[in-house]
Amino acid sequence: MIISVSRLTKYYQVHKKEPGLLGSIRSLVARKYETVKAVDDISFDIAEGELVGFIGPNGAGKTTTLKCLSGLLYPTSGDVKVLGYTPFERKNPFLKQIALVMGQKNQLWWDLPAVETFLLNKEIYEIPKDQYKTTLNELVELLEVGELLKVQVRKLSLGERMKMELIAALIHSPRVLFLDEPTIGLDVVMQKKMRDFIAGYNQLHKSTILLTSHYMEDVRQLAKRVIIIDHGKIIYDGKLDSLVKKFAKHKVLSVVLDEYVAPEKLSEVGELVSYDFPKAVIRVPRSASNVAAADLLQKFPVDDLNIEEPDIEDIIRDVFTKSKS
Amino acid sequence: MKKYFQIIKGTWAEHMEYRLNFVLWRVRMVMQLLVAYFLWSAIFTNKQQLFGYTQSMMLTYVLFVNVVRTIVGGTRTQDIGVMIQSGELSNYLIRPLNFFRFAISRDVGDKTLNALCAMGEFLLLFALFRPEFYLQSNVFIILASLIALSLSIIMFFEFSLLLSFLGFWTNEIWAPRFISFVLMEFLGGVLFPLDVLPKALFSFAQILPFGYFIYFPIKVYLGQLSSSDMIGGFSVSVFWVVFFWYLVHATWKRGLRVYTAVGK
Repeated sequence: MIISVSRLTKYYQVHKKEPGLLGSIRSLVARKYETVKAVDDISFDIAEGELVGFIGPNGAGKTTTLKCLSGLLYPTSGDVKVLGYTPFERKNPFLKQIALVMGQKNQLWWDLPAVETFLLNKEIYEIPKDQYKTTLNELVELLEVGELLKVQVRKLSLGERMKMELIAALIHSPRVLFLDEPTIGLDVVMQKKMRDFIAGYNQLHKSTILLTSHYMEDVRQLAKRVIIIDHGKIIYDGKLDSLVKKFAKHKVLSVVLDEYVAPEKLSEVGELVSYDFPKAVIRVPRSASNVAAADLLQKFPVDDLNIEEPDIEDIIRDVFTKSKS
Repeated sequence: MKKYFQIIKGTWAEHMEYRLNFVLWRVRMVMQLLVAYFLWSAIFTNKQQLFGYTQSMMLTYVLFVNVVRTIVGGTRTQDIGVMIQSGELSNYLIRPLNFFRFAISRDVGDKTLNALCAMGEFLLLFALFRPEFYLQSNVFIILASLIALSLSIIMFFEFSLLLSFLGFWTNEIWAPRFISFVLMEFLGGVLFPLDVLPKALFSFAQILPFGYFIYFPIKVYLGQLSSSDMIGGFSVSVFWVVFFWYLVHATWKRGLRVYTAVGK
């Protein structure tokens, strides 16, 4: 196992302030602290070459976990091993084999062209000249940023900068790559390019990638395995397809009708989600889907009928709402 | 070692990127120098000696302040406070890089470029005004003043790092720094040599670190110090260098624990 996490826990002390000036003054004298359980007793293992998606709403503990894995955070308790090292010790041989890209923070030298940061990283990671050239050329070609290398970073667009961040993070060919929201703020086209690049890179170099995202699309296209986390706990860890079977309690029947049928009658079959004649969408319990379909075909003039799985996004939303209550 | 040279080169390149900014910064330094220079020239009209200084010594002091201040005070360590606040520090923790050597390399880059300019300004002003200049001929005294200068460079570097490390605990990293600027101007001997001050205040200033940033190395150069003054001064600077060294490492270690506990 290249990454193994067992019973990882990370608590923060957050100081609470009442609103207003009076609250500010009060908090100067007597601060109230509250413990936030950012990550609460989670365990998982990741094998070499796996590409795992880490999803969850804001504040679920995704970034905290990544930071614990990359050595930026000191865990409250639990055991973390990455590449056989304890991340928090931040030993050089460990740091040389990992990379962390945070969509919202940049490591690039802001006032200089990106290539200066690459050169700096070449020295920091002690990359031989030939290897540096080959890797840089490969990355530049994959990401199509040839002409931008010599442009001041501050003058690049967000998407271009993100590509440069990726190059800076990958120039030492890390074995383990942590990507925290790599597509945040990017437009749809750029998001897709990023995704294609990450998938291609994982295929080509067999590096282990752990990626967090809000965007289901990222995870759906990239990761075979997902870990869903909410309120610091793992809700689900496994294949994306199995997630649907496990959590989708419903199926969706979409029907095209030949003649108009009163909505009340359709509601007898199942929950009528939408009805815009001739199209109707009805949600039925998973186990009853076959019966409901047969029922529909018998009772009503049906032109076309499809039994569909609900959207992954819907399922996950369901899962999160449930875990809240 | 090459990585640290790359950092120095990058620091130079950054300055080159903002030429106007850099030039204006130098202009500001020269203006300050001119004000002090003309002020003291005016004070010395019709007077041979003042506060134990001849005119040439005082003007030499003033001219040197600019050079010494540039070499000692030229630093990038204030950025570190911002880095801690913004969480950008993580980018350095995640790379196999010694953070102190990184900070030193940044400062070497900054100081070399600034010192070069200060030297140029010094020569230019010298050619323009042809002031009476006090040339120290005693090699040992010159050597001693260079050692004093080295100590003040290290001391100020440590001091400035400490101010930045405050960022681990508080969001208010600028207020302490501004106060220290004022203290440095006043108690460091930027505006006037410290021994111009009333005796009680001067004695007090002598145990503070500020006087050793600027005043002490120049004073050593002027050769006005008795050997007991020299020994005293060097002892105090060494004390501060060692004390700050310890403090820097202790705060870094504890600060990092806070940083990695909260995780910005």
